[in-house]
Amino acid sequence: MSAHNENQPGEPDLNDPKLSRFEVYREGLRRDGIEIIHYEPRFGRPGTGAEKRMERIVGGMFLGAGLFATLFVAAYIFWPWEYEGAATLSDPETWYTPILGITLGLSLLLFAFGVLTWAKKLLPVEELVQDRHDGGSARDDRRIAESTVDTVADDMGLKRRPFLVKAALLGAAPLGLAAVAPLGGLIKDPGDMLTVTGWNAERYNDGNPVRLMLKDGAMVRPDMVSVGGQITVFPAIEAGASNEYPTAPALLIHLREQDAATLRENLYPMYQDVDALWGNFVAYSKICTHVGCPASLYEQQSQRLLCPCHQSQFNVVDNAAPIFGPATRHLPMLPLDVEDGYFIATSDFLVPPGPAYWNRPSLPEEDEQ
Amino acid sequence: MAASAKRRRGWRKRLGALARFTGALVIVGGLYSAFAPSLYAQEADDNAVDSEVVKGQELYDTSCITCHGDNGEGVDGRGPSLIGIGSAAVEFQVNTGRMPLANQGAMAIPGDPVFTEEEAEWLGAYIEHLGGGGAVPDDLDALVENADVGSGNDLYRVNCSSCHGYAGGGAALSSGAEAPALGGTTDEELYQAMLTGPQNMPVFADNELTPEQKADVIAYVQYIVNDDADRGGVFNLGRFGPSTEGLAIFLVGISALLLATLWIAGKS
Amino acid sequence: MKRRKGTSQSMMTKAGGELDDRFKLAGPTRVLMNKVFPDHWSFLLGEIALFSFVLLLLTGTFLALFFDPSMAHVTYEGSYVPLQGVGMSKAYESTLDISFEVRGGLIMRQMHHWATLLFMASILVHMMRIFFTGAFRAPRETNWLIGILLFWLGFFEGFIGYSLPDDGLSGTGLRIAEGMTESLPFLGPWVSAALFGGQFPGDEVIARFYIIHVFLLPLALLALITIHIGLVFAQKHTQWPGPGRTEHNVVGFRMFPNYVMKQVGFMLVVWGVVAAMAGLFQINPVWLFGPYEASVVSSASQPDFYVMYLDGLIRLFPAWELRIPPYFTLPGVFWPGIVAMGLSVLLPLAYPAIERRFTKDRAHHNLLQRPRDFPARTGVGVMVIVFWVIGVVSGGNDVFAQAFNISLNAMTWAGRIGIVVLPIVAYYLTYRICLGLQQHDREILAHGLETGVLMRDPEGRFYEVHQPLAEPDEHGHTDLEYSGAPVPKKMNRVGALPPAEKGFFKSVESSDDDRRDELEAGR
Repeated sequence: MSAHNENQPGEPDLNDPKLSRFEVYREGLRRDGIEIIHYEPRFGRPGTGAEKRMERIVGGMFLGAGLFATLFVAAYIFWPWEYEGAATLSDPETWYTPILGITLGLSLLLFAFGVLTWAKKLLPVEELVQDRHDGGSARDDRRIAESTVDTVADDMGLKRRPFLVKAALLGAAPLGLAAVAPLGGLIKDPGDMLTVTGWNAERYNDGNPVRLMLKDGAMVRPDMVSVGGQITVFPAIEAGASNEYPTAPALLIHLREQDAATLRENLYPMYQDVDALWGNFVAYSKICTHVGCPASLYEQQSQRLLCPCHQSQFNVVDNAAPIFGPATRHLPMLPLDVEDGYFIATSDFLVPPGPAYWNRPSLPEEDEQ
Repeated sequence: MAASAKRRRGWRKRLGALARFTGALVIVGGLYSAFAPSLYAQEADDNAVDSEVVKGQELYDTSCITCHGDNGEGVDGRGPSLIGIGSAAVEFQVNTGRMPLANQGAMAIPGDPVFTEEEAEWLGAYIEHLGGGGAVPDDLDALVENADVGSGNDLYRVNCSSCHGYAGGGAALSSGAEAPALGGTTDEELYQAMLTGPQNMPVFADNELTPEQKADVIAYVQYIVNDDADRGGVFNLGRFGPSTEGLAIFLVGISALLLATLWIAGKS
Repeated sequence: MKRRKGTSQSMMTKAGGELDDRFKLAGPTRVLMNKVFPDHWSFLLGEIALFSFVLLLLTGTFLALFFDPSMAHVTYEGSYVPLQGVGMSKAYESTLDISFEVRGGLIMRQMHHWATLLFMASILVHMMRIFFTGAFRAPRETNWLIGILLFWLGFFEGFIGYSLPDDGLSGTGLRIAEGMTESLPFLGPWVSAALFGGQFPGDEVIARFYIIHVFLLPLALLALITIHIGLVFAQKHTQWPGPGRTEHNVVGFRMFPNYVMKQVGFMLVVWGVVAAMAGLFQINPVWLFGPYEASVVSSASQPDFYVMYLDGLIRLFPAWELRIPPYFTLPGVFWPGIVAMGLSVLLPLAYPAIERRFTKDRAHHNLLQRPRDFPARTGVGVMVIVFWVIGVVSGGNDVFAQAFNISLNAMTWAGRIGIVVLPIVAYYLTYRICLGLQQHDREILAHGLETGVLMRDPEGRFYEVHQPLAEPDEHGHTDLEYSGAPVPKKMNRVGALPPAEKGFFKSVESSDDDRRDELEAGR
């Protein structure tokens, strides 16, 4: 290698003892296709006042970084941090996280600006230009590579032995399939998970109608909701208020007399058939028919239900049909009755609650609007 | 030119008259308010409750009757009937400045109260006298003192957070209505609001949330909104969640780093 | 002890020799240390993402020491009073424990979250730089594709990480994602059941997300980032046009010491900013949100900002649902949710090919274009930005409506109209502005700079003196070619005065120290 290099014209003899370090260095640049356009020390003469001042600034930043890092570690160890009930800004523990963040941040920033100032203010001023060598390889290299690949293919006989190639492909395809097949363990039949909720008496309550309960387990009586009030109700079954029955929660609303009258006028036939209201009480699924957030912002004056996620608005006195926003279906009504003084659901929701999916059964009442 | 000067003089005259009239009104009003309470205060010794009702009625007849009608029966298209809403509702609406209504809109907007708390009590007493309703229990402080914050948290998230937000920041409702933020509210106001369901807020009467449960909710709200300082930083970004956090990463993080890149790559 | 004088210099030489004997390092070391990098502030934007990613790995490892990705039901007994006695999943409990029971845990959580937001935000800013300067053109299309994939990997990595604590806010987000999954034609319920192990939320999803969040996606990100940077290194960085800069060279400074020192410094700046933000600004206070429950929601429920535009589109989309009775429904959310996301992946991936179809330009480009020099592309870019910003604002339209007292319904309608109209207006305006800026540059090249000096000729006409950039012909015109490079804007950049080098905060020339030093030396 070195012998070959020495023969090139315009190249310094690297064995020449008179060659300075910089000249050797520049030979390296030349070999990498780099040319120096501009290169001079930042300070004309070393050791001037300006240079010393800059050194002091950079050094100060490093030391400051160390100081703040020490403060960080000290605060981490000694500053009170445990949560001991409500505390105001005059209690030290509320400042633990801010102090850690600020000391760590300042330490990092000071060190950073130390390094950056070093690079910007103390390194030589330089501008170099390097050949880009853009584009593909040299012709020779390309030709050699092609021949190499062809030789390898030929050695293996890829062209002469088409049967082997086909057989390998035919064998590899099922092997690839076998590699991903175990992911099939993830597949689960959705069954009726989207249609049956916790209100289904046959499935979850031995055929007895499911009562309505509050989150704390108290059964709901009509006198528990005053006019203009609403409460969230769950099926009174084991774990009925938990996430095991995510589509079950419903909103039980006690309407004013005239609002209830309006609703009775507007009631879809399917709800008339099952007599879904009880007195002036109505229960709507709390799960938005858009994408499933609880649509539970009940406005008792304007009689709207608003979903906070995408602002769908439902008209409480018209079967909770959507009147604004992206939702397209009404919130299913839970058919109510009262038995032994407690609310019961006479059946599950008549249409599946929650977001729509491709084979969600549509009832004529919904298609009409 | 002459015509416009004359017109200006006319304006000045009218303005002057208006100023004098206002001044007179202020003096009369001031005298009235200086003397009137003391007059009533003497009466109050005889029959405190009845006199509160009388004073309340007097205030009602001057300030509320236009919209809510004679004896709180309501006026169609202006204001609802007040019979049976109780003193808590009245005190909530009046003390938070929602009533008297500044102008008819999607919502009663809270502001500086027009009446003193005492006057609000009188108004409340009058409305209570008209048809019962709900009132704040006298031992509310004790109830809140002994409340269970954890149970309040559960109740808050099921019943309140959908409108007022996890962190009590409030929310926009449909068509310009809004659920107010809960910061800076008193225990009484929270109790009154739950009990009476002002404007679009559903009612949480004592059959839905017992006074103890209401106290739990109040204790929780006060805990997160007023009592406990945020632990995660000097600024809580309004507790608006990801929307202000996203704003902060661009306005603070990206901006600071862009400045840094400009300095790093700048000529030195 | 004998060779004390030999010192570190010869020790280093010896150590280097030993290493080279074994690994043959001399050549590669030289090439690496001498490599020339161009210098421009806009070339540092991608680094923000890189350094936040490193910080994410560090803070994430810390969090993983304490996080328990289990949905088993527990009752909270920790020190945060308002949640005591509340039932929740173990995942949520351990997140609370990181915040309240682990010393310094909260600052780590907040740094992790802020670094995520910074990672995504800087990718967007970096992508804008690449797009508007045409840096994605041949030979760098591959790196553009990898960059887009990195954004989307980060998008899902971020969304999944945000879901892990199983708190009320992120659970709501997950519920929306599930609703979108259900909207897939034919497969929806099956995909949802496969993802959640049955009905949402089930009790498996957090554990599944955890392995994806800490293993699969970080590995993919790491691999793609390595290739991304490797390609920048191998293909050499683009550079702005200017004197001495051609398609075939790189003008700048050496990798060592200048470039590396600036990189190390900038990395520490990025980390310092994240640490300071984590101390100053509270982020994602999960303890306020409570555990996820299907019946509980908060007003102002938003995803993190990089998901917010999709949420905004979902909010704005009208109530259109395709129903083919009896048995086919295409829910409305399919379009703004699934299709819009798919297009957001595909269109950027395809953009370099699309542009090439129009320009028929297959040449290699190593010089960047200024945005004004390709008005159509710049217009498209601004159009996308306007679309995105309206989407993001609509994603927070309830917060906006509340903060500025606007009707929510009015916000939605403004968004619906704005997202259709404003991008078109933005395209047109951008196009005109680009042409205007080009024209301005051409005028300066032809006539020179305006000096502000007004003269009056013998016939009484006023004219302004122009300072030509080169020797003018008899008509006062110069024959300078328009090359897409910046033209001088200020008088003293050309002409007799030497260029005034500007420092960042003050003029470098005004420093008196050098002159004083010179005077002292002279004496």
